Amino acid sequence: MTKQKMFLRMITASLIRRRSRMIVALLAISVGAAILSGLVTIYYDVPRQMGAQFRNYGANMILVSSGDGKDFDVTAMNEAVSHISPESFLGATPYRYETVRIHDQPVVTAGTDIKSAGITSPYWHIEGAWPAEGEALVGKTEAEHLGLKTGSSFTMSYADESNEKEPVERDMVVSGILETGGSEEDYIYIEMSDLESIAGSGDLDVAELSISASQEELTAAADSITSADNGVSARLVKRVTQSESTVLTKLQALVFIVTAVVLVLTMICVATTMTAVVTERRKEIGLRKSLGASDRSIIVEFMGEGLLLGCIGGLAGALLGFVFAEFVSVNVFSSSIRFQPLLLPVTMIVSVAVTGLACLMPVRSAIDIDPALVLKGE
Amino acid sequence: MIKGAFTRQWKKMIMIALTVALGTSLATAMLNVMMDVSDKVNQELKTYGANITVVPKSASVMDSLYEIENGADDGAYLKESELGNIKTIFWAFNIVDFAPFIDTKATVSADSGEKEITLVGTWFDHHLELPTGETLNTGVRSLRTWWDISEGDWLSEQTYTGTEKPCMVGEGIAKTLSVKSGDIITVSTTHGSERLYVAGIFSSGDTADDEIYASLDTVQALSDKDGLLSSIEVSALTTPDNELAIKAAKDPGSLTIAQYETWYCTAYVSSICYQIQEVITDSVASPVRQVADSEGAILEKTHLLMVLITILSLVGSALGITNLVTASVMERSSEIGLLKAIGAKNGAVSALVLTEVMITGIVGAVIGYFAGFGFAQIIGQTVFGSSIEMKLFVIPIVAVLVIAVVLAGSLPAIRMLLRLRPAEVLHGR
Repeated sequence: MTKQKMFLRMITASLIRRRSRMIVALLAISVGAAILSGLVTIYYDVPRQMGAQFRNYGANMILVSSGDGKDFDVTAMNEAVSHISPESFLGATPYRYETVRIHDQPVVTAGTDIKSAGITSPYWHIEGAWPAEGEALVGKTEAEHLGLKTGSSFTMSYADESNEKEPVERDMVVSGILETGGSEEDYIYIEMSDLESIAGSGDLDVAELSISASQEELTAAADSITSADNGVSARLVKRVTQSESTVLTKLQALVFIVTAVVLVLTMICVATTMTAVVTERRKEIGLRKSLGASDRSIIVEFMGEGLLLGCIGGLAGALLGFVFAEFVSVNVFSSSIRFQPLLLPVTMIVSVAVTGLACLMPVRSAIDIDPALVLKGE
Repeated sequence: MIKGAFTRQWKKMIMIALTVALGTSLATAMLNVMMDVSDKVNQELKTYGANITVVPKSASVMDSLYEIENGADDGAYLKESELGNIKTIFWAFNIVDFAPFIDTKATVSADSGEKEITLVGTWFDHHLELPTGETLNTGVRSLRTWWDISEGDWLSEQTYTGTEKPCMVGEGIAKTLSVKSGDIITVSTTHGSERLYVAGIFSSGDTADDEIYASLDTVQALSDKDGLLSSIEVSALTTPDNELAIKAAKDPGSLTIAQYETWYCTAYVSSICYQIQEVITDSVASPVRQVADSEGAILEKTHLLMVLITILSLVGSALGITNLVTASVMERSSEIGLLKAIGAKNGAVSALVLTEVMITGIVGAVIGYFAGFGFAQIIGQTVFGSSIEMKLFVIPIVAVLVIAVVLAGSLPAIRMLLRLRPAEVLHGR
């Protein structure tokens, strides 16, 4: 039997014979490793997942005409959107405001893409339904002012500013009343094609973009859109971007500190457990020494045992941690978590290091003792 | 005997106490932070500005719709004298900031030209004395946290000493008229004109960039609307809406008396709005959906996240304690063997071991509780810059947890000890 084989045999035999004690140690290491991998995964994923929640605040970038005479239409908007990485891009909504007459009163009406308006302004409360073609979403204040209710119909007429042509008229149906608590309540929203059918084609006034990205990425995207010089200039909605980065930084710091505190305490727990397990075996160490084992061979054997435990525990814990992180992510954010492959080796190395250190200290103190004293039980 | 165990075996006992303390401190810290995190994050979310706007009941939309010069004179207004009432409602404590607004069209003239602009009157950091005797400072300074002051500084009514009335100018106007901080500009309306000192230039990224903000009384005088306001913005700490709140928001009259009381006494945005309407004559307070809804969603997610992390750390600390208690009880097999050999009954042995472990556990738990509270404070100070409130009901939770965990840790070990045969143990096998 070779030396290595004997070494392996001693380690595995000791693990198997002292099964219950080893399971206790293994459990401690696995839980520690699970906490490490789970919390670190969550820590890395929090900005992304929370960022998605923050998109509830609506658009964080707006596009306006740069005022150099170039057309600012939907094509120009889509061209500008192509500067943004598709992963972080959520939606872009064009708005074109025109004053139309309803019951002979001037009302500001916005032509837009209703479907993407729902994405860039998730906070819109609608009583009724989102409008289809030929239907209109009427702001709450405006609805009260004009006496409109869901289902009622009205005639919209548009006259050119110069008043040269006859006004164009069109019948619309109110599909829903819009409530936001903001200035949107003063307007009527219809599909862009409906507005073009009475007002002809024209430039957009503004386009709202919702992008899930950090402040630096947003600034870079805005710069690249503006410098592309296609008649579009991009501006960040400061109120949203600045506040978002403040709150997100705080949240990430919170998870970071919590992770750090939990980790330190867990490591100490793992270390004390390992220390207790090794201290118990002082008698065994004494016996071996009296049989002529060198200090080195005893340290190597105990360390081998500890490292094996650390490896198995670390692996099991890392996987357990990912399961936990996934559980948290699905329950809290209802989306899957991003797997950090690097975390698997890191978790294993940390748990091996902690168990190794935890074993080393008691073994060291044990071999310093005279075997005769230990065996005598003093 | 127990005293003896403690004096003679103090090293082992300290080990148990230390582990229990560590586990307890972890549990205490996490529970305290979890309970308080909603409040803290709610405070942070206030950087998004007001979540309630108050306007007169028959708010005239003439101004923005028809773009009539000088605003709509026939419109309705709120009364400035009633502003302090906002801090007297049931949820007054939850009102973080508020600021009144009045605006008028005006012509601004500087050295380099003239421009038509909107002049907004408001409070910057107004010192307010309430009918209740309390005082507070409130105004747009804390409601417009996203404003970048590119030149000069925030205007402060309390510290400003110049002779001209102060104002802050939006970046858009400052650029077109090349106005700098420290300049004197003249604004005139149909009711008169006033020389204003430019205290600062701000950039807001929205329409306010083309507006001038001056103190409330200046604009009231310029628009001949003494003591009148066109709107109030209120920033309040709120609880995320649930079904009851949605039902109540539509019509508070549809609730039963019990439901009404629950709703009125919960800080839903709709109930705070309702209470503001009660104290401000002829007003409509409505939630700013953009802010109120998002706050609710983010608060809920953060809370849930912290609950799950807390559960994980509780499980972790419980397992740690159990492990160590098991390990250290089992170490004492020879002592137990001796006890049994001289005739101790199983019950007496179990009672002895349990009492020892429990006393150690309780000592550890008390130390751990305070250490954990310290950890919670560290988290609070580093992340939010404010201390975490001490929640008393964390104590019973932690106590039950520690007792359960220590018992669970000792039971399997005791069962093993009882199965020992004294002769074998004493023989050293």
